[in-house]
Amino acid sequence: MATTRKLDCKNLHGYLKTLPWHVLDKLYSHPATCLAVFRQLPDLSKHYVMRMLFIEQHVSQSVVNLWVNSKYQDEQKQAVTALTDLRVWHEETMTGGLQGWKMNQTFRKNMKIALLGGGNPWTSGGEQLAPDKHSKDIPFLDKYALERWECVLHFMVGSTEGTEGVSRDIIDVLLHAGLMKSDSLEPLPSITPEGFQFLLMETGSQVWYFVLQYLETVEQRGMDLIECLSFLFQLSFSTLGKDYSTEGMTENQLKFLQHLREFGLVYQRKRKSNRYYPTLLAINLASGLSGLSSDSQRSGYLVVETNYRVYAYTDSPLQVALLALFCEMLYRFPTMSIGNLTRTSIRDALARGITAEQMVNFLRSHVHPMMLKNNPVIPPAITDQIRLWELERNRFKFTDGVLYSQFLSQTDFELLRDYAKDLGVCVWDSPEKRVMVVTRFGHDDVKKFWKRNKPSNS
Amino acid sequence: MVNVTKGILVECDPAMKQFLLHLDDTEAFGRKFVIQDLGENCLFISSDILETLQDKIDDIMDRLSFPLAEK
Repeated sequence: MATTRKLDCKNLHGYLKTLPWHVLDKLYSHPATCLAVFRQLPDLSKHYVMRMLFIEQHVSQSVVNLWVNSKYQDEQKQAVTALTDLRVWHEETMTGGLQGWKMNQTFRKNMKIALLGGGNPWTSGGEQLAPDKHSKDIPFLDKYALERWECVLHFMVGSTEGTEGVSRDIIDVLLHAGLMKSDSLEPLPSITPEGFQFLLMETGSQVWYFVLQYLETVEQRGMDLIECLSFLFQLSFSTLGKDYSTEGMTENQLKFLQHLREFGLVYQRKRKSNRYYPTLLAINLASGLSGLSSDSQRSGYLVVETNYRVYAYTDSPLQVALLALFCEMLYRFPTMSIGNLTRTSIRDALARGITAEQMVNFLRSHVHPMMLKNNPVIPPAITDQIRLWELERNRFKFTDGVLYSQFLSQTDFELLRDYAKDLGVCVWDSPEKRVMVVTRFGHDDVKKFWKRNKPSNS
Repeated sequence: MVNVTKGILVECDPAMKQFLLHLDDTEAFGRKFVIQDLGENCLFISSDILETLQDKIDDIMDRLSFPLAEK
């Protein structure tokens, strides 16, 4: 069975930490980035930054340590590491040999601008735009963003609806992230076990994970990571429902904007249009993993019965397609679909690397509110059976080994067995039959020992 | 004298063990592959059969089951 790696969904802080320090230094040259980073810091770290922002010199480490009561040294350590990891400050030896903290000059400068005002306007294109003839309101943007995003998800589950909008770029990111893999035999890539985990995440986390993976491919596309990142941060400070001008944006940023448009992070009426609207997906991005409101209203549409029948009260083809990954769909009505969990359908899913646990979790997290009254929520007959079907596939345990047999005496056998057991290489033994199995790895040692201690008579 | 044989130790439930012995008896893979019957839950088999066994066992088990679900 394919081994499944757990999707690691880093937050903003975790992501920035992985960047090399010169990239971070350049990032801080924009006030929006500084403020976004500042917002993500632990409370105590924020406090440190505020204290040191206007002190234009080193602060000795012992002084910083004194700011915190000795009872809270753990929090203090966390705060210090957070700031060091993000290169907001760095260690420097002060005159007199004391170790001190020195704040990053770029960060200090731009953080001040963020707080006190001044500098260039954050969103590019200073001049005011004339009112948009086709102005869009917030519900429209929300709907648009979700539609675009669902296109990507649709494409992943392999349903044909609405996938024509999925471009090569999106496919590249999905492949790079290992969420899908391409097969030379089939024209379209197919979903991986990681991809299935991805589908089961909430929208906010999905977008964030996807964008992180996208950023990793940015430099291969010949684009500048710093420009893209600072644009993302600017976006996260923009207002929902307001239009922004593309004027003054660099070539790279315009290219980036087109990609964001494909993912549904910004709305642009036409490719050449000189204004764009950021959507909720983009604005929530820098705050990391805060959930989208859209998730709550969509939760809960499955009813699972003890006769393996699953009723899906939904009109979204995506949700039906998700369920169809491991459920045999029988009937489809405008607002409801019915399927059966069968041995075949579950086994097909297992063969594709989806685990029983993931299926059960999916069912459990999407049950209809009516089902929540039951305890346990999903009938145990169903969950047990899904797990049994999984176990059925792993009924054997294979161990590479060497069989020792035909010992002349019980003492010989026990001598060798005890030695092998001491080494921890004996996998199986039977004193009655005078047979034992040693791992391939331990065979050499046991063989040498036997040669040395061979009873003289044989 | 001690006899040393390389191979693979298979641990499984008794039913599966009997099934493997049956496959061995009927030479389902074209030859014998069980080296020694070690006990209720264990068999020692030759290592070159492992790949075939893992490929085929699912199919063979599938033929033994029948769908229960009603449409």
